[in-house]
Amino acid sequence: MKFGFVRVLLLIAALFVAIPVHAEQRNFFKIGVITELSGDLVTGGNITKRGYDLWAQEVNAKGGIVIQGKKYPVKLVYADAQSNPAAGAAAAERLITQEKVDFILGPYSSGVTLAVAPVVDKYKIPMITGSAESPLIWKNKFKYTFGTIPPINFTGATSIKTLTEMKPAPKTIAIIGSNDAFSKATAESYKAAAEKAKLKIVKFSIVPSGQDMTPLLSAVRSMKPDIIAFGGHDEEHVKFVKALKQIGYTPKALLMHCGITDKAFIDAVGKDGEQIFGTTCWTGTAKTKCNVLWPNAAAYAAASQKAFNNPGDYTQGGCSAAGIAFQTALQKIGAKPGMDEATRTKLIQALEQIDVQTFYGRVKFATSGEFYHANVGLDPLTIQIQGGQVKTVGPKASVEAPAIYPMKEWKSR
Amino acid sequence: MMELLPQALTDGILLGGIYITIAIAFSLTYGVMHVIDFAVGEWIMFGAFTGYYLNKWTGLDPFLFLPVIFVLYFGVGYVIQPVIHRVLSGTKGNPFLMGLVFTFGLAIMFRGLALTAFGFYSNSIPSAFSEGSFNLEPLGLTVTIPTVRLVGLGYALAITLILHYLLKKTNFGLGVRALAQHKDAAGLMGVNSKRTGSYVYGIYVGISAMTGVLLGCILSIGAQMGNEYTIFAFFVVVLAGMGYLAGVPWAALLLGLVQSIFMIYFNPSHTLLAVFAILYIILLISPRGLFGKGV
Repeated sequence: MKFGFVRVLLLIAALFVAIPVHAEQRNFFKIGVITELSGDLVTGGNITKRGYDLWAQEVNAKGGIVIQGKKYPVKLVYADAQSNPAAGAAAAERLITQEKVDFILGPYSSGVTLAVAPVVDKYKIPMITGSAESPLIWKNKFKYTFGTIPPINFTGATSIKTLTEMKPAPKTIAIIGSNDAFSKATAESYKAAAEKAKLKIVKFSIVPSGQDMTPLLSAVRSMKPDIIAFGGHDEEHVKFVKALKQIGYTPKALLMHCGITDKAFIDAVGKDGEQIFGTTCWTGTAKTKCNVLWPNAAAYAAASQKAFNNPGDYTQGGCSAAGIAFQTALQKIGAKPGMDEATRTKLIQALEQIDVQTFYGRVKFATSGEFYHANVGLDPLTIQIQGGQVKTVGPKASVEAPAIYPMKEWKSR
Repeated sequence: MMELLPQALTDGILLGGIYITIAIAFSLTYGVMHVIDFAVGEWIMFGAFTGYYLNKWTGLDPFLFLPVIFVLYFGVGYVIQPVIHRVLSGTKGNPFLMGLVFTFGLAIMFRGLALTAFGFYSNSIPSAFSEGSFNLEPLGLTVTIPTVRLVGLGYALAITLILHYLLKKTNFGLGVRALAQHKDAAGLMGVNSKRTGSYVYGIYVGISAMTGVLLGCILSIGAQMGNEYTIFAFFVVVLAGMGYLAGVPWAALLLGLVQSIFMIYFNPSHTLLAVFAILYIILLISPRGLFGKGV
């Protein structure tokens, strides 16, 4: 009986002790990818997949990553996080302990990333997420997690600032966010920026994900805000625009984030998508220049159009840039496939040191402060949908077209 | 804030209309077949995509296709029902649980199929009804009624009345009610349980598919949309009393009103908490639903 009790204790203890990850000898880099390939966030998950796939395809087309004169191809091993943080964490365990991947390309959503980050820290496996934007990830200071898209509290203020420069200047704002890590952070970043810009916040609400927001928007309508800002995901954006149209309220500016730069959003809402503002850090027309894989943003957009019949958005681009960041760091330390723990630690140091120009813009990870390991090399952009195209309307240095303000009434479109 | 009350009530009733369309046929099929069909959301999703593609290919308003979609999906349901019937009429194990697992599996399979066939993007179905709204401000009320939601409420009431007529005024309905009460006794009275079950399941799948078109016009569509509607259908049917069809409209309206009022007057982030707390309290007081007439 006593022996049985000891065995149970040992078993429990074993569950809490990380199984050492042994290196495997191979002539290709085995890369784990954890993302949302099913569930509510399947759209974003598949967009990240496109970004990672396009990077791998381009690297392999060139023969692989060149390390000390030898080319090593890359092989992506996918694990579905099912839009569920617990499933994401389990997928990370499997990729690390069973598949023995060299490093990981991370999830689409902030919620899943927050669940996966402690796992990769436990096993000391480097991960770059090409999508997650919640500031919570970086505030936790996970040593092995990096991200190519700047956090929303870094980018969100730019759009609010652009809108306050419109004439006549907006005075009031209603801010709504869906109740998930990213969307909530988006709404909070808009709130902080609005307070700083001395806009009067007439409504700030966080609503359960996926809900019909018509009753809430009816209440917002009665407050007649000049700006409505919403933090949510793709399907919620479509519902949000339709609900506003159904209740017949057109604010002077409608600001949304995440996914509205994707052609699919414009296709889904058609003319109702016109003149919606968004926050991003990359577009296919961004003026970038580099010598790794794609010479600039336009070349990347063309490659994406050819591969997926879609020029790609900032999430997809961020994922391809995550691949480039790993590639650059691997070359910097001359790491070969089947890395041991010491090499992986060196890889982390190399990632902290890289400062590389990519088709996506500059990738430079912060090494301290609230943005620890997030990319702080990019300048946030305010965009607006004009004529079915995404146009940069702010800040002034990046303007492609003047902003249309106030928005045209829904019924006059 | 009280000036928002008429709009809150209107929004709640219109939202309730949507919930009626989701839950009414689901309740019917439970009442007759005693199966909780976890694939209800997926039938809604398939209907939505059928409406989306028919609109895309022909350019005609999706509401014009409702009869076609009903007939098409009635056929699908009619063909599938015998398979479910076989699972439910097994003699080993627990057929009720097997039925649950079977429909749960169907839902997962349908979701995967849809993801492969329709892709991962969210979409919307355009309709002439989506464009306008009725503004009651000239009548002194700060109320706006979106046309498409009013059409949705009308559709919900029409479906409810048609089902009521079918069940109460026709021989087929008599057979359905007999089957719901006692399968063996109904059989002895000459009701063909297999065929009647197939008709009922066909009607349920047909109505659910039509509801998908409506939801695609009001909200949005996507391969993963079904899960959310399955939860609401289940909620309404449990609140109404499992299998008690007449309770569905009231339960759906209650759900819509609670959501709307809570979203406007209280903390919107706790809307679902409020909804499920109410369900919990009602079931605690009346375990057989709002009217105490559920199975």
